[in-house]
Amino acid sequence: MSGSERKTVHIPEICRVEGHEAVTVEIAGGKVESVQLEVFEGTRFFEKIVLGHHFSEMPHITSRVCAICSTGHVLAAINGAERSLKFKPSLTTSLYRELMHLGMIIESHATHVYALALPDFVGAPDLYKFATEHADMFAAWTRLRNLGALIQTIVGGRPFHPVNLQVGGLSHYPTVDELAPISAGLEEHFQLPVDICTFLMKIKPAVERTTSPSFLALIPEGKAYGYFGERVRSSDGFEESIDNYKEYLAEHSVPYSHAKRSPGKGKPLMVGSMARLHFYSDRLSDVARGIYARSPLAAGDTNTIWNNLAQAIEIVEAFERSKEIIRLLKQDNLVAKGHDSTKLSPRAGRSAGAVECPRGTLYHYYELDEKGVIRAADMITPSAQNTARIELDIREVVDQATDPTSPQLQANLETLIRAYDPCNTCATHMVSVRYR
Amino acid sequence: MSPANIPMPRIAAHSLTGCAGELLVILENLDKLIPYVRVASFPFAQSTNEDRPVDITFVEGSVSQRHDLEKLKHIRATSRWLVAVGSCAVWGGVQRGACSRYKPEDMVKEVYGEDTQIDVLPALPLRDHVRVDVELSGCPINASQFLSVTASLLKDHLPYITHKPVCLECKLRENPCVLLEKDLPCLGPVTAAGCGALCPSMGAACYGCWGPCQEPQMEAMGVILSEKGYAMEDVLSRLMAFGAPPHLFERMTVHQQRQVKTHERI
Repeated sequence: MSGSERKTVHIPEICRVEGHEAVTVEIAGGKVESVQLEVFEGTRFFEKIVLGHHFSEMPHITSRVCAICSTGHVLAAINGAERSLKFKPSLTTSLYRELMHLGMIIESHATHVYALALPDFVGAPDLYKFATEHADMFAAWTRLRNLGALIQTIVGGRPFHPVNLQVGGLSHYPTVDELAPISAGLEEHFQLPVDICTFLMKIKPAVERTTSPSFLALIPEGKAYGYFGERVRSSDGFEESIDNYKEYLAEHSVPYSHAKRSPGKGKPLMVGSMARLHFYSDRLSDVARGIYARSPLAAGDTNTIWNNLAQAIEIVEAFERSKEIIRLLKQDNLVAKGHDSTKLSPRAGRSAGAVECPRGTLYHYYELDEKGVIRAADMITPSAQNTARIELDIREVVDQATDPTSPQLQANLETLIRAYDPCNTCATHMVSVRYR
Repeated sequence: MSPANIPMPRIAAHSLTGCAGELLVILENLDKLIPYVRVASFPFAQSTNEDRPVDITFVEGSVSQRHDLEKLKHIRATSRWLVAVGSCAVWGGVQRGACSRYKPEDMVKEVYGEDTQIDVLPALPLRDHVRVDVELSGCPINASQFLSVTASLLKDHLPYITHKPVCLECKLRENPCVLLEKDLPCLGPVTAAGCGALCPSMGAACYGCWGPCQEPQMEAMGVILSEKGYAMEDVLSRLMAFGAPPHLFERMTVHQQRQVKTHERI
């Protein structure tokens, strides 16, 4: 990049992401001066919304933070409340919750990988073109998200904003017969995520960040490639309890954005599928592990674009693990026993809860009074943790560019941002460039 | 399929302040609509979007900032049918529940700091700002209701949407009543039907995510929950959580003084 004039790269609204987001890059003397990722989704004050409500209402209210990862918010709220109440769910309850979570992973990852990310790689900017000219991919997405929705409907009551998951257990434990359509779907569609992994592996990254990110992810309980845990691990060499989340994630707000950000001990963090695979690829099931071993990720390539592939590998893993969970539930007839009561006695306390959501670690924190009413709350979303790293990625990519204002570079920047699967809801405009 | 010389009806889907749940339901059902419509604008799901008049626009989310309001007015001016989808667009959603209790200006300072410049409006449904042709509630909306509303509008016919209590659907499923038989704090009697009585079918209490039914019998609801031992402040907090308008509760607050038998929590 050269030239002494001031330039501004401005992407007013990024499409095909969940939310309203814009990017402004200021360039002076051939160097990037500042990068601002601006989220202008209307504010909703969930930390205030929940105050005065009983802990049993938390799953239903906090699920409304986000539709596509509502199961994650429900499970983080349940985890936070149960840890505060010193309650440990039974193995049966934990397995049903994990199955539910995997349903969300399949639905959310499939929607992002196929409907939001793939159109960039096949050149289909509008839905009609995507649905008609790439009918096989469109159909694969339909089947996968239907399966993810089916799992969440059978276990949780509906495709998102589940009604069946409660603090203290499930209000209804599905029977072996009720789980049968899930097993059938897992058998029937297994090849779809395997095929999309093969496709995504062949993508040539158009741009490249120059530094490797700091990864952070929960340490899964048990031996499987899990999404629940009480401690985190960082690629910078520390391990911490989630109760200390405020220390290792310093959340703050910036005047230009409605989304708070958490850079992570001062260094920009990357959370989500790539971070989880970075730490726990050895826990993957057979097929997923084989795909990972052939992928650029296994060779240590941390290009942002591979987050799409990492998500696809997690879909394969979710298929294998879901089959295993259903087998475990049937074995020893866990389906019929180990049901937890959903009525927990209130007690005063405070605790964080966390789950690995599709986009990364989600934290909920609650303080309960002796009647079980929420007196203080905090939530830190994966997208807040990724924001600083997205800005750094953009800075590194624009710094390398010979013409930072070219439409191609801006299209590539949108693809790069989309690979993080940022969670907001989107608006209308195309990329524009301003000189000043 | 339309004959080649008749242009396809054009639809659009936009969100204001919400969780993108309705956009997701619409996206997940697009395969059924693609043969009959052109998706003129749907920024959540496609990159090329037109800013021209359309036949039907679906709008989710509440109006919670000036940006939302400007966008909504523009959408109204360029849409033949404006359909409010989801509890946020129809009732204001969970964010309205909070705005009924706290001032938005105070909340924004508390969450983002004193010197924030974030623009906020009290979260309100679309009908409080513009004319709305059809209101389809739900959290999220029911996919088959969405398809039947769309099919009606494509035939220039205003759809029929029931606003009767969800108890009606619960009875049709022959569920045991969780309110009367299990003493759970079920809000079904004052909540609009549409979900198919999901919560009671899974043994849980309805928590009112669809918003109030037509002529909700708040007084009777208050009496029965008090008799079951639920404190009125809890009942109100549950009822208001999904954005039902505060005036509905005026009739109940009389009972708050009279009927409270115990302060036991839900």
